[in-house]
Amino acid sequence: MEAVLSIKNLTKHFGRIKAVNNLSLEVKAGQVFGMLGPNGSGKTTTLGMLMGVVNPTAGEFSWFGEPPTHEIRKKIGAVLEHPIFYPYLSGQKNLELNAMIKQCPVENIPKVLELVELSERKDDKYKTYSLGMKQRLAIASALLNDPTVLILDEPTNGLDPMGIAEIRELIKKIAANGKTIILASHLLDEVQKVCTHFAVLKRGNLVHIGPVGDVGKGEETVEVSADVENLNELLLAFAGTSSIDRENGSYHVVMREGFHSKDLNKFLFDKGVVASHLFTKKKTLEKQFIEILASS
Amino acid sequence: MNMLHLLKIDLKKMTSYRTFWVIGGLYFLTLGLGAASGMEFLKWLARTFEDFGTKLNINRIPLYHFPDVWMNLIWCAGLLKIVLAVLIVISVTNEYTYRTLRQNVIDGLSRAEFLFSKILTNVMLSAISVIMIFVIGLVTGTIYSPSLEWDKMITDTEFFPAYFLELFCFLSFALMLGILIQRAGLTIIILLLFPAIESIITAKVDNFTPALIPYFPMRSIWYLIPWPFPRYAFQEIQDYIKWGSVAIVVAWTVIFNYVAYLKLKRADI
Repeated sequence: MEAVLSIKNLTKHFGRIKAVNNLSLEVKAGQVFGMLGPNGSGKTTTLGMLMGVVNPTAGEFSWFGEPPTHEIRKKIGAVLEHPIFYPYLSGQKNLELNAMIKQCPVENIPKVLELVELSERKDDKYKTYSLGMKQRLAIASALLNDPTVLILDEPTNGLDPMGIAEIRELIKKIAANGKTIILASHLLDEVQKVCTHFAVLKRGNLVHIGPVGDVGKGEETVEVSADVENLNELLLAFAGTSSIDRENGSYHVVMREGFHSKDLNKFLFDKGVVASHLFTKKKTLEKQFIEILASS
Repeated sequence: MNMLHLLKIDLKKMTSYRTFWVIGGLYFLTLGLGAASGMEFLKWLARTFEDFGTKLNINRIPLYHFPDVWMNLIWCAGLLKIVLAVLIVISVTNEYTYRTLRQNVIDGLSRAEFLFSKILTNVMLSAISVIMIFVIGLVTGTIYSPSLEWDKMITDTEFFPAYFLELFCFLSFALMLGILIQRAGLTIIILLLFPAIESIITAKVDNFTPALIPYFPMRSIWYLIPWPFPRYAFQEIQDYIKWGSVAIVVAWTVIFNYVAYLKLKRADI
């Protein structure tokens, strides 16, 4: 697949602080790429360098296989940190200004305003908008030039649960159109729900990169309960059992490599036992993230 | 991007900004009223003289006669350039306080293009001032001159390019200060104090190497067009532009804009 973004040894020092240290990674077309990391891990600095507002100390990167120029930035929609607009201009006029900068037709404006559901407030001054509306206007502005790549940095920061859900739906809608999305966030649940790939940064270093789908792989835990006395012994007799815990009236069975819940189900059924509760628990991104940070 | 498009971008930011219209409006209003009220000033002067028992024939002072009108108006209008400079400072420091410079660059404007859009606004405001003073001079000169002779009307019009240069250089200075300091209040204070600080320095320099004095930036800008009024007290004035002074002001203009460019290019925004 074609690499949309390729970063080689990108480094940024602020005095003695190494904000980003020798970062190399690739984002391919169609990926929804999550950038994870605690606050101050270098996510925003990295995105700032990619968007030309922070000058790298060393290293290089390319967009679509070409060295970065301001012309290329016009084809990338980006919201870094907070939404930024002229407070005294209306939403409509702010977008008109952005259309002039990106050199794209103003006819795109009604479409993106409709998408983020701001059409009714478009003639109000930006400073009268709520935080959620500001975030949505920022996404509208990022989508203005119909970009093939979208960069979102903490798009749900400071939003209420409704707002978070709205933005998440919006991201899914955009991703469904085949756009490549780079999403920086520390809301892991969010990343697991929308991303295909993710990278983890810690104090400016890349400590992990891989597909989100891999997170659930490896050992499984199965929650079982059944109306029999000797369930504990039966489970111990199962060849796939690695260890058992009893919690809230059900058994948590940690499976050996290669065994799945259906194998356990079949085993119990063969013994004449029907499970009343059988639930496969995959490892969450949150758990994996904490493990990655702890081990690095 | 072409120049017109860049200028349009900067004007788009400014034309919905109330402060822009208030300051800009006050500037052009004061410019117009001030330039047109010279006769009122002379009448006041005559009344004052009369109180002291001296008769002053104001018709003997050709304030608005061609070609005197050009230099008189241009010199007075030059005093108001501070107002325009404050407008430029607000326009550029806003881009830092609202962080819109950062967003402009993210959206695909190069840093050089951003600066260029501001420089073009400086050119435009300078040009409008020149045109306005030219029109006022033409009207008042036609009204008050005893006779209209072509060669008198075109005498001294070389002060117009000099006036443009004076404005543009000072606005470039204001733009550079704004980009270096990034805060409106502090920038305006420094902009206002700078000529005073410089004159203190030049007073000291005067004791040692007076030859250096014409090279100081504020001095070169403020003295590019000489003070015309002593000529009505029968004193000799410099009624032409020195090429050396022009060269110094042009050099400062280039330096101001280049420093602004370097700062913008190197900064993390």
